[in-house]
Amino acid sequence: MDRRTLVLLFLLLVSSSLGSSSSSSPDIRVLSAERRIDLTSSIVRVFLTLKVENVGASQASDVLLAFPPTDAEHLAILKASTAEGKRKKKIYVPLSVNPTELPDTPNGAHLFSISLRNPLKTGEAAVLEVLYIITHCLEPFPAEISQSETQFVYYHDSAMLLSPYHVMEQITYIKTPSNKVESYTRVDPTNRAGTELRYGLYHDLPPFSYSPIIVHFENNNPFAVVEELVREVEISHWGNLQVREYYKLKHAGARHKGVFSRVEYQSRPSISGVSSFKHLLARLPPRVHSVYYRDEIGNISSSHLRIGSQKSELEIEPRYPLFGGWKATFVIGYGLPLQDFLFKSPDGKHYLNFSFGCPLLETVVDELTIKVVLPEGSKNPSSAVPFPVNQQLETTYAYLDVVGRTTMVLKKRNIVPEHNIPFQVYYDFNPIFMLAEPLMLVSAVFLFFVACIAYLHIDLSIRKS
Amino acid sequence: MASKPISSPVPVAWYPSLAVLMLSIGLVVTASFFIYEATSSRRNRSLSKEIITGAVASVFLGFGSLFLLLATGVYV
Repeated sequence: MDRRTLVLLFLLLVSSSLGSSSSSSPDIRVLSAERRIDLTSSIVRVFLTLKVENVGASQASDVLLAFPPTDAEHLAILKASTAEGKRKKKIYVPLSVNPTELPDTPNGAHLFSISLRNPLKTGEAAVLEVLYIITHCLEPFPAEISQSETQFVYYHDSAMLLSPYHVMEQITYIKTPSNKVESYTRVDPTNRAGTELRYGLYHDLPPFSYSPIIVHFENNNPFAVVEELVREVEISHWGNLQVREYYKLKHAGARHKGVFSRVEYQSRPSISGVSSFKHLLARLPPRVHSVYYRDEIGNISSSHLRIGSQKSELEIEPRYPLFGGWKATFVIGYGLPLQDFLFKSPDGKHYLNFSFGCPLLETVVDELTIKVVLPEGSKNPSSAVPFPVNQQLETTYAYLDVVGRTTMVLKKRNIVPEHNIPFQVYYDFNPIFMLAEPLMLVSAVFLFFVACIAYLHIDLSIRKS
Repeated sequence: MASKPISSPVPVAWYPSLAVLMLSIGLVVTASFFIYEATSSRRNRSLSKEIITGAVASVFLGFGSLFLLLATGVYV
């Protein structure tokens, strides 16, 4: 911890002594930056409002954002948008963000470039709204707690925005889930009022300035992490979409030490096991049927399903409450009507419109695999996903299959609830292939009748009667 | 032109009724096939009648068992 602080302070000194000669894009300047860090959940959400001005000689078509290496590793989503229109009719237009590399970025900072829709001319200013979500960055401290203790976590960040440009004015607001903040690093001017911590206003900072801070606060929100989730979506043109989800759930907060006393847990719920969780809510599409929740032992009956017209909610309760470091493995399966999700595009291709991500609310998925099993006889599968995923094809065998069903496998790491947006899988399918299944059954039964006829016509007697 | 949703060629609500209907017709035709076999003597049997009865029975039984599988939730 000390060495890291020293290295980063050295960096601050080096960058301030070098002055403007070391900045990577000398023609953009950040006029004001406002960062709102939301620590009220186990997933950290940061809303950044940047007002940039082009002070160089040429047009600027993109704006760079920098992240320290540990944050960039756990970055789940990075979205940027700009507001267009007047006061009352503001609409936010999303901008594309791509990782870039520049030769002189100090200390392994990762850079991302936001492409502006209209290039910024000299002297012009623009306001950008950036949202980024970081997972696994709240470190539980103490790392092990007993049943009756509450959970405190460390949040590591910088009081100043790490930026490749000069920042004229900046302020950072940190919102904690409760009033209990054990300690926080002071980088004047700093102020704390209830659940909000303010670092700022800082004026005129050189590029890549970084001042590490640590906030030690209480966070009893459920730290539910699904280590591995495999979702299988089976398409049957006879009218049903069958979804099977295999979960490996873990409580990723402070590890539980000592004994688990069920008596204490049930008699004093406000003191005992405050950081544990026993319910999880899954949001499923409306018109869902045949929902089951089981694990390796068998069916788990402690669940509630509420089917609605806009969405359905499945509240599951694992066999035991989850304390720090405890894991649970289960399967959730359900069926959906085909017409809600399968469509035929004007150019003749069939496509499945389904939502990516995990149906559980406020959980992080470390590794997500979605397998879309296409009907037998489909050709040319392709997928359209709004963010980068790993794609593969494999073959699955199900009932009444001869050649096997093509399966599109999509894999992605580090998923948050903001990834629950629709994606499409396109394929060609001739409906005549649906007849293959009944014809297989018909020919099997006909073979039986032919065998009967053959048996009755064959004369097996030894002597002519 | 917007994309149109795809649903099954036969309405899903009909699956159980169709299964029962087709299986019962198939079993009746199978019964008539075996009655014909039992009551006719070796010389009077006509192969074409046997094969036609067998084919009709197998079509009804095949589709009936498909709709039975679909009605119970095994969407093949």
